[in-house]
Amino acid sequence: MSSLKALVAIWRKDMKSEMRTRYAINAILLFAFTTLIVISYSISPYRVSLNDRPFIYASLIWIVLVFSALSGLARSFVKESESFTEDQLRISTSPEAIFLGKLLFNVTVIFVLELLIVPVFILITRLHVVHPVYFILLLLSGGAGLCMVTTIMAAMIARARVKSVLFSAISFPLLFPLIITVIKGTEKSFRIMRITHWNEFLMSTAYAILLGVLAYFLFPLIWRD
Amino acid sequence: MLPYGLELINIAKHFDRRLLFKKINCTLERGQILTISGANGSGKSTLLRIMTGLLKPSYGAVHYYIHSRKLTPDQVSMNIGIVAPSINVYDELTAFENLRFLINVRGMEYDEQRVNDLLQRLGLIDFKNEMVSIFSTGMRQRLKIAAAILHDPLFLFLDEPFSNLDSEGMQIVDNIIEAQCERGCVVIASNMKTGEKKGDMRIELS
Repeated sequence: MSSLKALVAIWRKDMKSEMRTRYAINAILLFAFTTLIVISYSISPYRVSLNDRPFIYASLIWIVLVFSALSGLARSFVKESESFTEDQLRISTSPEAIFLGKLLFNVTVIFVLELLIVPVFILITRLHVVHPVYFILLLLSGGAGLCMVTTIMAAMIARARVKSVLFSAISFPLLFPLIITVIKGTEKSFRIMRITHWNEFLMSTAYAILLGVLAYFLFPLIWRD
Repeated sequence: MLPYGLELINIAKHFDRRLLFKKINCTLERGQILTISGANGSGKSTLLRIMTGLLKPSYGAVHYYIHSRKLTPDQVSMNIGIVAPSINVYDELTAFENLRFLINVRGMEYDEQRVNDLLQRLGLIDFKNEMVSIFSTGMRQRLKIAAAILHDPLFLFLDEPFSNLDSEGMQIVDNIIEAQCERGCVVIASNMKTGEKKGDMRIELS
């Protein structure tokens, strides 16, 4: 019960802090909208054949989401380290509560990011999502998987000197299977009306759960060392 | 049988080949004060960090006891309070929000009166709704002391507790330390005069 209280307190503190400083959100949105504008100018809908559109747009949307997330999600732990509040947190509650609080914050940020970016992407590319339910499920499971990896990686690199470079370099190989899976699934949701096998959604959900469980048990070792 | 205490057994610390200190042994009981003194770079803050579990010693061990039962690292964390230059409060929260956050994150029952009383004792009540980012270093130090004693810790670690404080602030903090000792808290401090006055234990690092 006290862990749940601590988890919620960390999430609320991070949300309040983010609303006041807008550090992660600004970094993420700046990257996302810059990329979207570049896409809208360079690959307008008329320059891509109808047959190629689902694959190209599925790839582009996940590239925007993944790299936007990588540009901002490390902040949750890096900020604690840079502002010397990490030890205050370390002596105040269990590592598990800290991990889950930070994870919940990152999940909130990524879902807000998806809520803002995806409609704009659809609008500027004039994309027709054939199977919206499958598309939304992939956004949720893919976003969750993205958060599992970035949260644990952010904790690992928080005390390193070249944080941002290291964060992207070690997160990307871990994210690669997830990105491939969600791109395939997203392409399917842009192309097929009746999806009988929800393999990509199941795989990305399994990935998120597996990485989440691994990160949960690994985090205390990283945090205490 | 000790109600509670801590024991340092043969503590040594070196960074690469540089030996900071070695063979530090000490046992502290309820209500005692230990002062750690020494020149800059002698390892006072390092020894304090080792005692709090924030840093591992190169050799030796620190044991905490309550009624002869050894505490786990998590139990130690819940029973210590630390004031140190390397431990900060949140700039983007107000003084009040900082303390409320620490109450919630420690799983304690929220008591607004208690938070207000603490801020009053530290002379911060008029600034309770101000962002910490606009606080002076002295006000920040007072808030850090409030954060350290908020949960009535059994062990209080003070690394240069009087730094950046004016004479009024020093008097307030001195009174708070006295009150903590009377409550039975074990106080471990670096660069502090109170321990010397009381004639408790002392470690001199060279």
